[in-house]
Amino acid sequence: MKNKLRELRAAREWSQSCLADKLGVSRQTINAIETEKYDPSLPLAFKVARLFNKPIEEIFSENGD
Amino acid sequence: MMNQKLNVPGEIFLGNKEYSWRMDWNVNGWLFVATLISAFADIIFQNSVKHWPLGCRVGVVLAQFGAILLWIRGLRQWIAGMDELHRRITISAVFFAISATFFCVMLWHRLDVEGLFQAWFSTKKHPNPSWDIVTVGHTFLILTGFYFVGHSIFNRSYK
Repeated sequence: MKNKLRELRAAREWSQSCLADKLGVSRQTINAIETEKYDPSLPLAFKVARLFNKPIEEIFSENGD
Repeated sequence: MMNQKLNVPGEIFLGNKEYSWRMDWNVNGWLFVATLISAFADIIFQNSVKHWPLGCRVGVVLAQFGAILLWIRGLRQWIAGMDELHRRITISAVFFAISATFFCVMLWHRLDVEGLFQAWFSTKKHPNPSWDIVTVGHTFLILTGFYFVGHSIFNRSYK
């Protein structure tokens, strides 16, 4: 799954640790999502969407999209 | 901001910068107790324990397995306190460790029953040595080793 987490985080000048704290996950999780090695669970994806105030499909998309 | 402290796998890895003696004891304390009872009853004093009354021997076995149940409860609580990625890595590592340990212990046990180790290691002085490792102590030492191997394999895929 592709995502725009790195761009969204960079736009707000947040570090990975800062974003991890806001989402209640580890920095390794943020890094794994940004590098597309790990697809977040649905609850975490919704949390990300809520935090950035964007629809979920604007942040996460299938590889083919 | 989330302030709840998450459990991390490194907390129980001796030598890791996240290592916490307190957390390691909370998670693995009962495993240590079970292994200690097994080490004394099944390995060091096995010849004396063999001659104890049945009730005492059953008590020793139940004490080991009771400690294992308490360890499983602690392990479950520790894993539940992790974030989703660490939980996934840890559960995969635990599953890998259990499968690999089961395979190795069963294989070793069968080879011992067939007399392979007796043929290899039997001497005139010690004509019938037992090399069986189906004890709580042996099993959990092997399990711990495989857990660390499994964890490093699965953790690497998300780095």
